[in-house]
Amino acid sequence: MSPLGSGPGSGPGQAPGSGSGTCLRRNDDRVVPMSPSRLPARPGEVIDRERPLTFTWNGGAVTGFAGDTIASALAASGCTVFSRSMKYHRPRGILTADFWDPNTLVQVGDEPNVRGGHRLLEAGMAVSAQNAWPSLRWDAKALTALGGRALSAGFYYKTFMRPRWLWPAYEKVLARFAPGGVIDPASAPRRHDKRYAHPDVVVAGGGPAGLAAAVAAAREGAGVLLVEHEHSLGGHLRWGTKSERSMAAALAGAAEAAGVEILTDATVAGRWEDNWLAVVERDGAGGPERLIKARAKVLVVAAGLIERPYVFAGNDRPGVMLSGGARRLLNLWSVRPGSRAVVWSANAAGDAAAADLEAAGVVVEHVDARTGRTVTAAEGRRGALERVVLSDGTRLEVDLLVTAAGWTAPTSLLNMAGVRPRYDPAAARFFPAEPGTAEAGTVLSTGGISGDGSLDELVGHGEATGRLAAARAATLAHRLRVATAWAAPVDGPEPPEVPDERTPLGRDPHPELYRSSTDGIVDLSEDVGSRDLRHAAAEGFDSVELVKRWTTATMGSAQGKLETVNTVAVLAEATGSTISEVGTTTWRPPFAPVTLGALAGRMFEPLRISSLHDLHVAAGMTPIQAGQWIRPEHYGDPAAEVCNVRANVGIIDVSPLGKLDIRGPDATDLLSLLYVNKWRRLAIGAVRYGVMCAEDGVILDDGVTGRLGEEHYLMSTTSSGSGAMEVWIQNWLQTEHPDWRVRVTPVTDAYTSINVAGPRSRVLLGRLVDDVDLGPEAFKYMQVRRGTVAGVAGCVMWRIGFTGELSYELHVPAGYGPHVWQALLAAGADLGVAPFGLEAQRIMRLEKGHFIVGQDTDALTKAPTAGLEWLIKLDKEDFCGRPELQWALEGEPGDAPDAVPRLVAVQPTDPSYVPPEVCQIVAATPDGKERIIGRITSSRFSPTLERSICLAQVEAVHAGPDTELTIVDITGRRHTATVMLHHAHFDPEGERLRA
Amino acid sequence: MVQVPRSNPRRRPRRGRYPARYSAAALLRRGKAPWPPIWRSTELRDTYDIVVVGGGVHGLATAYYLASNWGITNVAVLDKGYLGGGGSGRNTAIVRSNYLTPDGVAFYDRSVRLYERLAVDLNLNVMFSRRGHLTLAHSDGALRTMRWRAEVNKHQGVDSEVIGPAEIKRLVPALDVSEAPRHPILGALHHPPGGIIRHDAVVWGYARAAAALGVEMHQNTEVLDIDVAGGSGPDGKGPGGQVTGVRTSRGEVSAPVVVNCTAGWASLIAAMAGLRLPISTHPLQAAVTEPVKMFLPAVVVSGSLHVYVSQTDRGELVFGAAVDPLATYDTGGSLAFAEELAGHVLQLMPGLGRMRLLRQWSGLCDMTPDYSPIIGATDVAGFFCDVGWGTYGFKAAPVAGEQLAACIASGETPDLIEPFALNRFAEGRLVGEKGAAAVGH
Amino acid sequence: MLLVPCPHCGPRNTADLTLVGESESRPDPSATTPQEWRSYLYLEHNPAGWTRETWYCRLGCGRFFVTERHRGQNRFRHPPLGPADESAGPR
Repeated sequence: MSPLGSGPGSGPGQAPGSGSGTCLRRNDDRVVPMSPSRLPARPGEVIDRERPLTFTWNGGAVTGFAGDTIASALAASGCTVFSRSMKYHRPRGILTADFWDPNTLVQVGDEPNVRGGHRLLEAGMAVSAQNAWPSLRWDAKALTALGGRALSAGFYYKTFMRPRWLWPAYEKVLARFAPGGVIDPASAPRRHDKRYAHPDVVVAGGGPAGLAAAVAAAREGAGVLLVEHEHSLGGHLRWGTKSERSMAAALAGAAEAAGVEILTDATVAGRWEDNWLAVVERDGAGGPERLIKARAKVLVVAAGLIERPYVFAGNDRPGVMLSGGARRLLNLWSVRPGSRAVVWSANAAGDAAAADLEAAGVVVEHVDARTGRTVTAAEGRRGALERVVLSDGTRLEVDLLVTAAGWTAPTSLLNMAGVRPRYDPAAARFFPAEPGTAEAGTVLSTGGISGDGSLDELVGHGEATGRLAAARAATLAHRLRVATAWAAPVDGPEPPEVPDERTPLGRDPHPELYRSSTDGIVDLSEDVGSRDLRHAAAEGFDSVELVKRWTTATMGSAQGKLETVNTVAVLAEATGSTISEVGTTTWRPPFAPVTLGALAGRMFEPLRISSLHDLHVAAGMTPIQAGQWIRPEHYGDPAAEVCNVRANVGIIDVSPLGKLDIRGPDATDLLSLLYVNKWRRLAIGAVRYGVMCAEDGVILDDGVTGRLGEEHYLMSTTSSGSGAMEVWIQNWLQTEHPDWRVRVTPVTDAYTSINVAGPRSRVLLGRLVDDVDLGPEAFKYMQVRRGTVAGVAGCVMWRIGFTGELSYELHVPAGYGPHVWQALLAAGADLGVAPFGLEAQRIMRLEKGHFIVGQDTDALTKAPTAGLEWLIKLDKEDFCGRPELQWALEGEPGDAPDAVPRLVAVQPTDPSYVPPEVCQIVAATPDGKERIIGRITSSRFSPTLERSICLAQVEAVHAGPDTELTIVDITGRRHTATVMLHHAHFDPEGERLRA
Repeated sequence: MVQVPRSNPRRRPRRGRYPARYSAAALLRRGKAPWPPIWRSTELRDTYDIVVVGGGVHGLATAYYLASNWGITNVAVLDKGYLGGGGSGRNTAIVRSNYLTPDGVAFYDRSVRLYERLAVDLNLNVMFSRRGHLTLAHSDGALRTMRWRAEVNKHQGVDSEVIGPAEIKRLVPALDVSEAPRHPILGALHHPPGGIIRHDAVVWGYARAAAALGVEMHQNTEVLDIDVAGGSGPDGKGPGGQVTGVRTSRGEVSAPVVVNCTAGWASLIAAMAGLRLPISTHPLQAAVTEPVKMFLPAVVVSGSLHVYVSQTDRGELVFGAAVDPLATYDTGGSLAFAEELAGHVLQLMPGLGRMRLLRQWSGLCDMTPDYSPIIGATDVAGFFCDVGWGTYGFKAAPVAGEQLAACIASGETPDLIEPFALNRFAEGRLVGEKGAAAVGH
Repeated sequence: MLLVPCPHCGPRNTADLTLVGESESRPDPSATTPQEWRSYLYLEHNPAGWTRETWYCRLGCGRFFVTERHRGQNRFRHPPLGPADESAGPR
């Protein structure tokens, strides 16, 4: 039985024995009764006492109110222990009662790592503690035996090296320490939307300064998006005095009236170049998050301040709270966090906490940190605070210790904009810049992050910032209009650049309070203590980045927002340097964690289908994804489809074939440049096969191009290469030959392409075409005609033959594709016409020995490797890849021509054995081993030849005809095969396609 | 070839004298008392036999093997920041050897073998977690490449095989192997020896072990220029020249051998010696989620979706992607990376929508045209390179360090790194590793 | 996301464009040597400073243009240099 009632082995909400009204079990399995600590209704509280909500906590029912967070509801019912610490398994209670609280991460249903201090309560939530390991007492004992509390940071690097075979077992135990909740990979995906926004000004932070900035900017005419992390506007005013609360309400009202777009429970998660912002809008109730991508002209960072814990012995004990945490519990949710309290305060917020607690009937001992008295220990038993020890030896019996030790400026967004924060020892915190530095550019800061002041001063600074933001946004907007003047004329002169003439906020003196004379926990998420940090520094990890990596300090759920400055301070103390010298670690995005669902949004990656798709489906195709396209792999029996094409006639949908319409007086020059072969003497009405190489001589693409007129060609590319080829051609035209008069238009989707193949194709086509003479002498192999097919005018017909049969490739205006396809099937019923799919085509092309770019060639295959020497014409002008191809053909010093691979046709000795594609081909080496000399690139069983056939790449020395090769099957068995004279296994002379 | 003085040349690895050896017994004995420094701090001297530029895992491994295998200990490793602050600390710590070319497989296989016993060799637990590596195929073409890799791997004695959706589901139940996704999982290359490792620990392990043998590490020491005499370029730099030393932010250091072990700045360091490299520097981004209890037992990679993911012993998912298409030295990262990454991860494992991205970061990758590194001597005598590691440098660090040390100390190029010489570009003989390395992690 | 100053469209998100590479002129293919040609093919300047580079406005105007970008700070020199008339060949 787990000490916490629920471990990795038992799912959420299944913990037995923890019934209604109970809290976490302690180590001794004693059940602690909940003592309700909700106070009577108080002004300013955010709960709706008319709407009680019942939920479960580790299986037991608990009731809170609408407006409660999970943590406040649990605290109200007396719960003090919310989690166990990662390494030492120490009990942990509420620290900050907000989003950053490291101790109140909980599992809610199938959602792990829910921020209990932030997530609003809902009826029926199944909430459970998640860091409840060990679930097995044996493991706990094993750990204790290894040293228990003596486990210093990084201990695992120093042990478990030997014996090596035992390490996996150790690793399993270490993995049990992993914090966090349980993800159910089978949980149903949710739909997340995204949107774009183009606000003039984004204000990150809805406290008094942020609100004032938003209002002022909006009143200047700027479009403003205000993003507040918490559930309502007002920042720290919300848990302040009555007048502060009414100020918050007034500012919020003004923002609404000024037309500010307000997002609460939302975070500016990141800022990138040119104020590209990620704004994450959470649904307070845990619904799907939404990502807003905002291109802001000006970003105002008004993120406020985050209260810093103090490091001393027992500082992680439940009952030790920050002043903000205590005030939030008390003033927002009317939860009394204790009955007898020490409030140790170095600032006004701490003093206010003392006053608030006293007013709520708590017995308070107010210890003023500014006098030099510090807390040295928080003591107690079983996860409860019983006693606080002060530096002067005073011991106070209390159940609550509130500390107010100072602030951390959450400068993440400013850092992402290139700002390096500076430490000010007099104010005991980091600031974005030296005092009084003007802020240039389009990222501004205001509020507590920039300095201190009275509420009026903060609001005044916010208003000045808002006006400055609006002015700079107006200047930028004008420049953008000028840059896009083609779209709309630009009126008026550019608004002048406005300098930063704000009256800077002051800096209140604050004592530097980081660590007491005792050691405590610095990073509560990671269980890293100040002693760990000191030891790490002594071991040589003397920079903050190294210390972070060695100890994992600042790597937890708050990503350093609570821990970084204390880490730096302890390190500075240990190395005898200053906080400024040590500096901070890099603040990295996101500012607050973002769900993968919100980042992913919905997928927009459509598949392409041809106009014939529905006909293929109706014909019972087996589909295959080929690149972006869905195509028919076959319609039942690919071998039968092959036989039908060879004996009768078949039709195949080849619409994905890339097609480019090329026109202009310099069109022929373009073709000569792109292809390795010649194009000058191609007659109008003729078609030619061509290969394109890159500048390094590697084969890029191949296809046929037909000359339709004096200055007009239709080019085809491979299906997968069509997009890239278009860009490739544009690059040559625009960068090397901008003077050429030629226009290239992609027409892939404009045509439905159908190949009619087989000895009866001429007869079939003759029944549907009457304006083109199809006779063998009138329309020869490798010619092109334009005409009318099945009544559809404007069709292009190529007489070519990838399959090796007499065949015609029809390019039909796409809208008429289905009509022509059906007409072909109807007109050829007596001829045995049938559709065939990609697989039959692949078999037939292999029978003919045609290579496929990217399958039979690879990223290093130069044209000669594929046997294309005959095609490369060095006696013409410049063409792509010419120098490399010339050297490849002529050889250059130091070449080892025998090792260059060659593409060859191969037939296995056993005609029934089809070697799987990519099987390796090996040869014996002098030392009796085997060496890889090549591979099978394509293989099929040929129904025409009734034997297996292949293409292979082998080293040239092994590529001669009749060479016997050894193929290693994937089972490891060896098979012999023979290199053939021709690439074509079938009809090498091409008599059939010339018929 | 430069003669490097050897205090005690021998092939048998030497063991360093550690200030304190690590073991469970030592941990218990010491209890809460602090440990002595992991490496010594010394003053920067004005002359060394070898200066290694870059205190990442490659530079430290090179220094360690120079000292341990060849007895060359008068070596300084210089870094402009802290040790392991570049790619060594920013990668996703995946180790594997299932490459495509026989040369690549042999090279990375040696690396995996060195990694497997690194914890013992360095007396520091680098936490190598051999959990298996799955490269998913979403298309016939990708599946064919997986088979190709498997066949080459098997021939080289490396354990790799292509498995189908049912076996994939058995190994990693969280994966959606149905036909529903836009990019369905058709199969995978399963590579059982692959795994993950604690990358920082590898850095510290090499640094500590090298220091114990007498190698000096100097952090915050930026190399500002390299002195070369007799070269064909301006200032006597460039091909035909001889290295004489480096100028650093902390003074001049003379050395007959300078080794460029940088990533992200390889072009800039090479330019100091008067050489241009076939390298374009791109950021590579990575991210972690908040931790959850262990559910992903293997490293999962999808080349066509540009994503690789593993779950650390801390419970975090660690993600990486392909390099950013935009060449830049700026490591600010991008939102688009996080969006695409999340989209692709949810394609593979649709149930992870409620996991949260906790932190993203970038490192710099030096990309070469053939997705293979540049190791060995150059046309500037005494100037060696171990650069161009793209996105696969971490997994190669032990073998690169070992072989480069041999290359420097013996004056001969070992067979394992011969294919990766810089002159392959001038000779037009590129390595055919693109298919396996482009997005393979 | 960086805004790229397309001379035709105005500023556009980087994702709309493709960086083609450093602008370098193509050697005369009929007179080149392996050394020169392969330097052109493979070698990069790759500075951490200002670089003259070719961009392709993939999802916009479809034009290639030359601009200068600081690769260390990732920002563009304004205004853009204009169309790719005098620039390099495909890379």
